[in-house]
Amino acid sequence: MSIVTIAPSHTKVQAPPKQLVSRDCGPDGCEIDWLASPRREADLDIANFTAFAMEQGWGDGLPLVPPTETRVRTFLSLNHRYPDEVIAHLPPMRAECTVEKIVINAVMAGAPPESLPLLIAAVEAVADPDFELYGMNATTASVAPAMFINGPIRHRLGIPFKHGCFGGAASSAAAIGRALRLIMRNVAGQVVGVTSQSTFGSPARISSLCVGEWEERSPWAPLAERRAGIKGDAVTTFGGMGTMNILDTTSQKPAEFLEMIGKSAAYAGTNGFSPAVPFCEVFVAINPICAEIIGKEMPDIEDVQAVLWRNASLPADWLEHLHRGQLEDQGRIRADGRVYLTPEPKDVVVMVCGGTGGLHAAVVHSFGTSLTQTRAIV
Amino acid sequence: MAKGFVLDPTTARADDITSPGPDAGPLAGKTIGIRVDQMWRAWDWISEIWADEFRKLGVADVKFWRSCGRSGEEGEKMDKELKAFLASIDIAVVGLANCGSCTGWTVHDSLAAAAAGLPTVAVATANFEEFAKTIAKRGGRSGLRVHVLPYPLNERFREDVDPVAYEHFPRLMATMGAAMETSKKAAA
Repeated sequence: MSIVTIAPSHTKVQAPPKQLVSRDCGPDGCEIDWLASPRREADLDIANFTAFAMEQGWGDGLPLVPPTETRVRTFLSLNHRYPDEVIAHLPPMRAECTVEKIVINAVMAGAPPESLPLLIAAVEAVADPDFELYGMNATTASVAPAMFINGPIRHRLGIPFKHGCFGGAASSAAAIGRALRLIMRNVAGQVVGVTSQSTFGSPARISSLCVGEWEERSPWAPLAERRAGIKGDAVTTFGGMGTMNILDTTSQKPAEFLEMIGKSAAYAGTNGFSPAVPFCEVFVAINPICAEIIGKEMPDIEDVQAVLWRNASLPADWLEHLHRGQLEDQGRIRADGRVYLTPEPKDVVVMVCGGTGGLHAAVVHSFGTSLTQTRAIV
Repeated sequence: MAKGFVLDPTTARADDITSPGPDAGPLAGKTIGIRVDQMWRAWDWISEIWADEFRKLGVADVKFWRSCGRSGEEGEKMDKELKAFLASIDIAVVGLANCGSCTGWTVHDSLAAAAAGLPTVAVATANFEEFAKTIAKRGGRSGLRVHVLPYPLNERFREDVDPVAYEHFPRLMATMGAAMETSKKAAA
């Protein structure tokens, strides 16, 4: 083995088209009952329904909105999507994830109807085999899919991208992220202690990370445009292991800020340095104040990625000897005697967001071989 | 508060193969395939000892396949290698289910082997036995054979792991449905 570089797969698996009934009449005016899910009788008081849902294994412990037919039909009618449309087969269950199931779980989570296109795009993204949801939904790690949002939809949905954007800003992001998590539980079949072996878990396993990019303050093109050429509404899903805060009260020059971030991201116990994992990516959030300073000297994002990458490395002889030995056997120690967090600079995913107080950056380490996915929101 | 009806948010798959699949039967002249990974050195040590034990029983060959990255181009390469590996063996021994994702992929590859019609055994450590069985059921094959090794395992030194391999080999044979006596006679 040697350095394994990251490249997307060439074969894409898509959910097979499925048409349960004729669509001649359209989803809004049709007299056929398009909703195929079993009906369950329940007390519709939120506290009582939440208790009922927890008994059924549907819940995450927070209050749930009862997914009545009225609520589900209203949600659907505002989106003009056919409920029987199969979006994906999500592991480990590999059962069909239809628009209807997405909507039911979104209703339960309290997500707004306008979020359905985002949720559908996110489900498509995490279902891509390159995202490696099969391992992610089973792992002992703390990983959960994060959603990074670009485009005007940030404003329409109120997705936070300024102060407290990773958590704490009052917005619909937590409910939207929670909807994706309930889909993982109820459709994919990821249940803690049953099909998920996560040793510690993470707050992101309740509400995901649903964050926008502060495109208006970024000196670089939006993340989705850089990654996939998508201008406008898009979601980038990233298998995030948790947020790491990096405080820098001393740097002045762009290279100094990036050195501090890169070196902080490189710690021995992250997946990227594990002999068990051939490659990783890493997400770096740069606040708008630092981004402005860095962007003046480095208008090309590839230069930023290169400096971060070069610093996100460790000298091999600093590693514990068994750890070092395995990496050595795998040919992952480079000619300069260092081990790098990601195979190449392009694997450092950079986005601008956060408050104007500056001082801090955030790093989210990725899970093993999960490859970041970007999809247009349509 | 009034009662009413809600829509079930869950999905389920109705298909399930409860059969353990074909027995391994007599081993003489057959090719055993052992799937290893890049995570567990203890599994490498055990599989090497088991390979030697299989050879003593007169198997035609023992082949190894190492699962690495399962996404991107690397994942495509793994898929092709796995298919070629399964096509080249008569019996599959697949491990090691000793963490969350590696249990997922061990079962995934076991199901691929079983779907190819091969006598198949997934190997799990005790802590991940139930998990492996649950994943197998949710993958549509609750009958998958699972051989269970002690846990913790990878944290032990080699001198402690080797006896585990020898002790468990007869039990592995039983889980596989291998005809031990027939195999011994054939080897003799």
